[in-house]
Amino acid sequence: MQLHIEPAGSIPIYEQIVRQVKFAVSNGALQVGEHVPSVRELAAQGAVNPNTVARAYRELQAAGILTSIRGTGLAVTPEALQLCRNQRLELVRERLRSVLEEALLNQIQPDELRQLLEAELERLSHSNLTGTL
Amino acid sequence: MSARPIVSLQQVSKRFRNVQALRNVSLEIPSGVICALLGANGAGKSTTIRCLLGLERPDSGICSILGLESQKYSREIRQKIGYVAEKPALYDWMTVEETGWFAAGFYPPGYQAEFTRHVRGFGLNPHQRVSELSKGSRAKVALSLALSHNPRLLILDEPTSGLDPLVRREFLSSMVDVAGQGRTVLLCSHQVHEVERIADLVAILLQGELVCFERLEDLKQQVREFVFTLPMPTAAYPELPGTVLSSTAAGCEHSVMLRNLEEFRLSAWQAAGIPFQVRHPGLEEILLSLLRERRERGETGFVSQFEADVGADSGGEVEQIV
Repeated sequence: MQLHIEPAGSIPIYEQIVRQVKFAVSNGALQVGEHVPSVRELAAQGAVNPNTVARAYRELQAAGILTSIRGTGLAVTPEALQLCRNQRLELVRERLRSVLEEALLNQIQPDELRQLLEAELERLSHSNLTGTL
Repeated sequence: MSARPIVSLQQVSKRFRNVQALRNVSLEIPSGVICALLGANGAGKSTTIRCLLGLERPDSGICSILGLESQKYSREIRQKIGYVAEKPALYDWMTVEETGWFAAGFYPPGYQAEFTRHVRGFGLNPHQRVSELSKGSRAKVALSLALSHNPRLLILDEPTSGLDPLVRREFLSSMVDVAGQGRTVLLCSHQVHEVERIADLVAILLQGELVCFERLEDLKQQVREFVFTLPMPTAAYPELPGTVLSSTAAGCEHSVMLRNLEEFRLSAWQAAGIPFQVRHPGLEEILLSLLRERRERGETGFVSQFEADVGADSGGEVEQIV
């Protein structure tokens, strides 16, 4: 798993890690039963603070996505796939909402937005982005 | 985390002729954290480190490291900790391996094997002469020297200035790995984005004064940029929704850095029909606003140099638009 961190963003870094693990599980980059890198490994690889990685892992454990396997580290739980797929939609919904709020503030009409959405979906379906998830 | 701080300054002041380098600075760094020391050139960062190492005598106050007073135990301190200077002094005529062998004489057994491991980990050739090394490789040798006795505290003064992005990333990973083993890192840097990735604590020095010392996460969570546009430059506006850290205005557009956003005040702004945004500023924007505020108050023109150092791109994102 490769981390892509935006340190100056409005989303705290531990939250960015949590989201990336969830996306990795839902698109199969992390399989059920697979171990995630240790805190130390992931921190060094992503050049982020180890306490931040530890916090992200604690949240993922609390959410039932990772579980501790005695002596060997943390692994993806059997329920994780379903949990992450459900939450993936929720994450996209949040991002879409903030974009829509910004658009409405700038006096873009709802009909224009619907057209824009359709046009972008159409454009992307011809690129090779779809089908990977 | 032990109760005793790893690094401690108590009311430390230092003056060089007509420059007040440190003014009554107090801070304590607990074990197992990465603390970043930020500030303009000449703000007192290097003086702080030199006082801590016992290389400089403060006019007043007490510095200590690992519970040892810096003035009395300078040699012991330097033997126990790892220190990477901005321009590391190495013997050009030695090879990389010989440099490690030479340094091993000052430390307990095992140093040289550990040094060789670090050097190989960084992809250096142990048989190359120091004089033939690039700037990045020299820095890697200096870092290896500082790490090879497994110090409980690593102090780095501008370790990545002038290095390419790949070497900088390797350095960051090493620092993070030191902290990952529960050891403490004190880092002086102008690379705000790097600090933002790795720091637990940030200390900001402005002209020798410690203006901020807190957890990076708390700082970023509590500070908001409030941007609003008035219908006329002189128009009245409701009370600002938080404690003002700094403010700038360009015509009708105002930008205010706030601490502890008071959301209940926003309704008055909506009622007044003044368009506003609440943004999450990045560390760089917070830092720049503190520096600019200082300059507005008419305190000498040191800011321009710092602004050049931290660069122009800003990473804040719009959080909330009304």
